[in-house]
Amino acid sequence: MVTREIVVGSSSRVLGHYDKPMWESISNRKWALQYCPESDSFRYPPSPICPDSLSMTYEWRPIKGTGEILSWAIFHRKYFDDFPPPYNTIAVRLDEGPIVISNLIGPEPEGDWIGCRVEVVYEDSGGVTIPKMRLI
Amino acid sequence: MSEAQLSNALSGAVAISGVGHSDWIADYAAVRGGTKPYDSFGYAALAFKRALEDAGIDKSEIDGIVSGPPTAHERMCEVLGIDPNWGAQADAMMGIQAAAMAIHSGMCEVVALVYGNDQRSAAVNYGGSNAAGGNAFLSYIYHAPWGFTSQGALYAIMLRRFMHDTGFTEADLGQVAVAQRLHSSLNPNAIMQKRVTIEEYLSTHYVTEPLHLLDYCLINDGGVAFIMMSAERARRGKRKPAVIHGIGRHDLSRDATSLVPRLTNFYRPAQKKVAEQVFNMAGVGPRDMSCLQIYDSFSVHIPLALEGYGYCGYGEAAKFFADTGISLERGLPVNTSGGHLSESYMQGWNHQVEAVRQIRGECGARQVPDCRYVHYSSDVAGKALSIIYGH
Repeated sequence: MVTREIVVGSSSRVLGHYDKPMWESISNRKWALQYCPESDSFRYPPSPICPDSLSMTYEWRPIKGTGEILSWAIFHRKYFDDFPPPYNTIAVRLDEGPIVISNLIGPEPEGDWIGCRVEVVYEDSGGVTIPKMRLI
Repeated sequence: MSEAQLSNALSGAVAISGVGHSDWIADYAAVRGGTKPYDSFGYAALAFKRALEDAGIDKSEIDGIVSGPPTAHERMCEVLGIDPNWGAQADAMMGIQAAAMAIHSGMCEVVALVYGNDQRSAAVNYGGSNAAGGNAFLSYIYHAPWGFTSQGALYAIMLRRFMHDTGFTEADLGQVAVAQRLHSSLNPNAIMQKRVTIEEYLSTHYVTEPLHLLDYCLINDGGVAFIMMSAERARRGKRKPAVIHGIGRHDLSRDATSLVPRLTNFYRPAQKKVAEQVFNMAGVGPRDMSCLQIYDSFSVHIPLALEGYGYCGYGEAAKFFADTGISLERGLPVNTSGGHLSESYMQGWNHQVEAVRQIRGECGARQVPDCRYVHYSSDVAGKALSIIYGH
């Protein structure tokens, strides 16, 4: 069977109207998410309105950068020039509540990764700072 | 009227009276050989002609059109030469629901639902920063800075969590690919006709681990169309109609980009609601189903749907595979055509064709004996929808 390789250049960020302040905070190595004072909740990805309170007032609040692995997947196929396979991806439940996708760098757990505690590490790649995770 | 009364009014009111599709096997070979038989409109047009012929009606009877993506609705009407009273741009599942409501409310009488897709010859990307559907479903593209992309990856990471929570294994999942290849080997329209064993399944490479190659749907060109009308009118036609006894939908879009409904509840709340809607509406339950057609862009849809719709308890899909079975050889047959994994990837459209043919009893070697009810289910990117077809 022929397998096709999808190569679409380098990975790129979605930079919508509400994403830019978040990526600026990441460049400053102080990842901040939108926080709604009315519903007392963080949200991700950035968006115009709190889906709970419908408040359009929010503040950019730095997160602790710690959380727990909810699940993981290993890519064996090349989708991006800057991600040669194999490489890992993880879903992390931040202590503030939202779930983010990242990569686990450094030592990897043996067996089941779910439940492992992680913290953010900022990595510079191609002129952009990307928040990655490592075990704590 | 209450919500339940409104739904019940639609039960048994509308039917599919004709189906048609392009030549998936020949077109797959042609495209792999470097030629392109039709564009998306052409595949749809061929399927449309065949559906009209199957239903035994003339084009002039059509007064409603549903055009599936990726073809624009207005251009589709122009190409087919139809000026309808009602129309919509919708995928197979939402299109059937909309058409049923339009017919039942009197907006139109006979609806053609048409779909054509040149996704293979046009090299449509389902992964990468330009992945198809990224505007509607931000999760397809949002996590690209971490290399996380493709619909397959979304199901891979969901499956990993499901395995952790329930003890489900890769070998359990392989039962899906094995059963559906058994079915496609009995289907002269199926692109993949060679049976596979569980050992062969496990020896294929991972694409996004824990999903193997054979857990992924095909990518092929093709078209599908069907004709819908009132059940009463359909019964006067030349074909035995497949009557819609139940139809329902519930979405989980909240926090979809950050994968919350996938990873924390596997869309179970949506499926539970839809199960109540459609089984109550049809007045039947899971035990009354002769077979299931489940949208299978990835094999993992099957265990999740069996649990979500109450065919077994939560965490019991592996036990259901082992004790009951999901193939034509044993148990409750799922995706009797081979589905998206092995027949053709027509994004839910070919599942309706199979459901209709099973109800009519014209499936030959893969016919489910005494087929009374067929449950179609899809949960694509948080939109859970089900249809109960019957006589």
